[in-house]
Amino acid sequence: MDIGTVMNTMRDPAGVPAQPVVFQILMVLTWVLHIEFVHLALGAAGLAIFAFHRRRHGPHWERLSLALTKVAKVAVSLLIVLGVGPLLFTQVIYDPQWYTSNVLSGRWAIAFIFTLIVAYCCWFAFYHANRAGARRYIGVYAWIALVLFCLDGLIMHALSYQALLPQQWMNWYAPGGVVDTRGAALHAIQWPRYVFIMGLSVPGIGLFLIAYARYFAVRADYEATWLDFVRMLGRRLARWGFALSIIPMLAWQAVLPVGSGLLSDPIGWLIVAILAAMALWMRGDKDAKDATHGYLPLAGGVALLGVLAIWREVIRVHYLRPLGYDIQTYKVQVDWPSTVLFFATLAGIGGLVGGFYLLLLYRSGRTQGLYTADRSVSRMGTGAVAVLGVWIAVFLAYGIAISVRDTFY
Amino acid sequence: MDMLGMYPTFYVPGIGTAWVMGIIGVIHVVASHTSVGASFLFALLETRAWREKKPELLVFIKQYGMFLLVFSYIIGSITGPGIWYAITVASPRGVSGLIHNFVWVWASEWVYFTVEVIGVYALVYLLGKIDPKTHLKLTWSFALASWATMLLIVGILSFMMWPGNDRWYRTGATSDAFFNVNFFAQLGTRTGAMFVMAALVGLLVASRLKDAALRRSVVRFLAPIGLLGGLFAVLMFLYYLRTLPSNAIVMLNTHLLPVYAKAMVEVFTVATLWLLFAWWRPHQVYTSLALAMFAFIAVFGVWPEERMRESMRKPYVAGQYIYGNQVIARDVPGKGIASEVDTVAAHGLLKLNPFVPTQLRQVTDANELEAGKLLTKMACANCHSLEPGGPLRNLPAKLHYATDEDMIAAFLRGPLKYGSQPYMPRIDLPDDEVRAIARYLAAVDRTQTANPPSGPQPLAAIQPVSMRK
Repeated sequence: MDIGTVMNTMRDPAGVPAQPVVFQILMVLTWVLHIEFVHLALGAAGLAIFAFHRRRHGPHWERLSLALTKVAKVAVSLLIVLGVGPLLFTQVIYDPQWYTSNVLSGRWAIAFIFTLIVAYCCWFAFYHANRAGARRYIGVYAWIALVLFCLDGLIMHALSYQALLPQQWMNWYAPGGVVDTRGAALHAIQWPRYVFIMGLSVPGIGLFLIAYARYFAVRADYEATWLDFVRMLGRRLARWGFALSIIPMLAWQAVLPVGSGLLSDPIGWLIVAILAAMALWMRGDKDAKDATHGYLPLAGGVALLGVLAIWREVIRVHYLRPLGYDIQTYKVQVDWPSTVLFFATLAGIGGLVGGFYLLLLYRSGRTQGLYTADRSVSRMGTGAVAVLGVWIAVFLAYGIAISVRDTFY
Repeated sequence: MDMLGMYPTFYVPGIGTAWVMGIIGVIHVVASHTSVGASFLFALLETRAWREKKPELLVFIKQYGMFLLVFSYIIGSITGPGIWYAITVASPRGVSGLIHNFVWVWASEWVYFTVEVIGVYALVYLLGKIDPKTHLKLTWSFALASWATMLLIVGILSFMMWPGNDRWYRTGATSDAFFNVNFFAQLGTRTGAMFVMAALVGLLVASRLKDAALRRSVVRFLAPIGLLGGLFAVLMFLYYLRTLPSNAIVMLNTHLLPVYAKAMVEVFTVATLWLLFAWWRPHQVYTSLALAMFAFIAVFGVWPEERMRESMRKPYVAGQYIYGNQVIARDVPGKGIASEVDTVAAHGLLKLNPFVPTQLRQVTDANELEAGKLLTKMACANCHSLEPGGPLRNLPAKLHYATDEDMIAAFLRGPLKYGSQPYMPRIDLPDDEVRAIARYLAAVDRTQTANPPSGPQPLAAIQPVSMRK
């Protein structure tokens, strides 16, 4: 049975409610947001544990451990919610691949949920216990959490990678012709890819620390020695992290399928070049204050992740298109009201309400003591409540109108 | 047509895949309803604190907020996508149907959800760190955003039951699917229930307050809100029952209410008495008691409700057009979707499902048992445990441990073939596949004949409900 025909038949018969490329772009963009927080969470968790075990080497390490424990806690919340976006958009255009991969490893897909809950609860236990003079054994909670976070990353990696190998599906589902409905195995892991993407957590937390030092530089209660310690540590982690990431990246390049054309694609090599450039940039002059001590390196890191997200999609297309699967041929049945709903919500709620929250957090964090909103922030707050009221009113009014029409006409 | 767009099958022996989904779903419903209800309690309490100049009320909000961060924004956040994962592996075509009808609605909910997660951290950590008026705006916007997530998901959940009229089948429009006949009733029920859950958790948090006067004030604030929420939820639930399709009513009357009605009344009574007691004796709201009451009401109240909602949908998983076993049950001209039931009848599942090994595509004497096992998993396992004693409507018990292949085949060739049982799908299969299933099920039942859990009553089991006394 031709696997391309199988995949195309498995597409949802309802079609998609907008051009597939729209979902593809959203999938790539939302994955960037998601993976940023994956790196922040893993990097912060790893460094928090490292700093926890180095507390006796100076007060900065203890302070660093406490601060990063909190950072990891918040970052995990955000990586989960931000992971929903790419998960959703993937299912729209790559539904045959994603669903099949999940079903074939069903127990792992379910285990992902419970291990993530256990991991997060362990991290919270560490967060509550990690105080000045905390006992050494509480580090066990953090280690369990970190190991489970890495396991969850591996599960997600395997589910994504298995989706690229449809020729193997039947061998995994019915090895030797005997059907196995247990979903008990992770069938395919591409270790270089997994190690590379997870390993970016090291330079990722480095960039975060550089930005952290810049962010709190205006606070009098954040001493210069502490901020210098954080900044220098960040630079070191970023420098070595980017440099060492080149190794698994090259290994990933080396295991790309021969004849797929991927090895000659410039995007993969662009990632290698960006890694090298970032490592050199972070090497810079110790006393340079502007270029490597602000938010710019963080922007550079985000740009790298943007290229990585595109590269993942290029790889997917190179794997699936020769088999006859092309998202451009997905049946389109445009649904304008729900399309407008999303983009209006993204702009109005994501932009105004989300913007209000982020601005408040940003400004209050840079203020020592009580932060009093200025006129523009205050108006933004009023606008946030108003836009939500309007959104709900319009939504319900539209719903009532539709319900009345559908019931009586 | 030589192939249908079906997926491989994932099966959890014993409890069945639907129970995995149910367990995750119940955890999520408790956590998410609590958080939405709590967001309004925060907004009301903070408004009161601001107007009456009672900043001590903010202590409770801070403690409740910290509790929510763990309970709702960890467990709730993870189990939300967790339901997706569970239904993906249990019913991939079902979730695909929902995704492709509601992707923009879900994407809008995702925007809200992201805003909500940022908001809860801002709300909890900025309490006392920003000016009170700005914080109040933050809290009210958080409450409205939280309720909006409920607005957006209820339309999808209610569509899973049915659209309620013919229009969506003709237009295929998301609006017609979303604002179905079930929507407002379910929204009202969940909105009332969220206040009950939030009040119950609030009592638990309040019981930890050291200031007795503050505890009394908070408990007396929470209890009436919980009672009113409960009353509203019950009224809307009665309205909800009026919006159900006939297959759901039959399922409700014959299978669900006899099992759950008494327990539901008891849970409602216990919850009401508990809230009244708290209102009357706020100083006697002890943590152990509050925890026990919350756990009891959350487990014994939400589990039956979710189980009933899931069961009443049967045999469909979405919009009365996709059966639980992945087969498209009817035409949806508005979406260009064609029923697959007759195609399955003509060719059989073994030939049409692309994930059937070559040697099982044709039933032979040698492979009949193996083919029957696979067919039973494909056609039945989404709604039934296959093992004796399984909790999910297990097939051996449903067949009263019948070992007579002809009798089982007669059921397959009769009520199942013609879809005459309202809560069962129409499964019309070629005769070789009917025989293979009958042989497999009889073989399973034979393993139990030495010590059957109940006396065999095969005729009653295979008769349509309407024929039974």
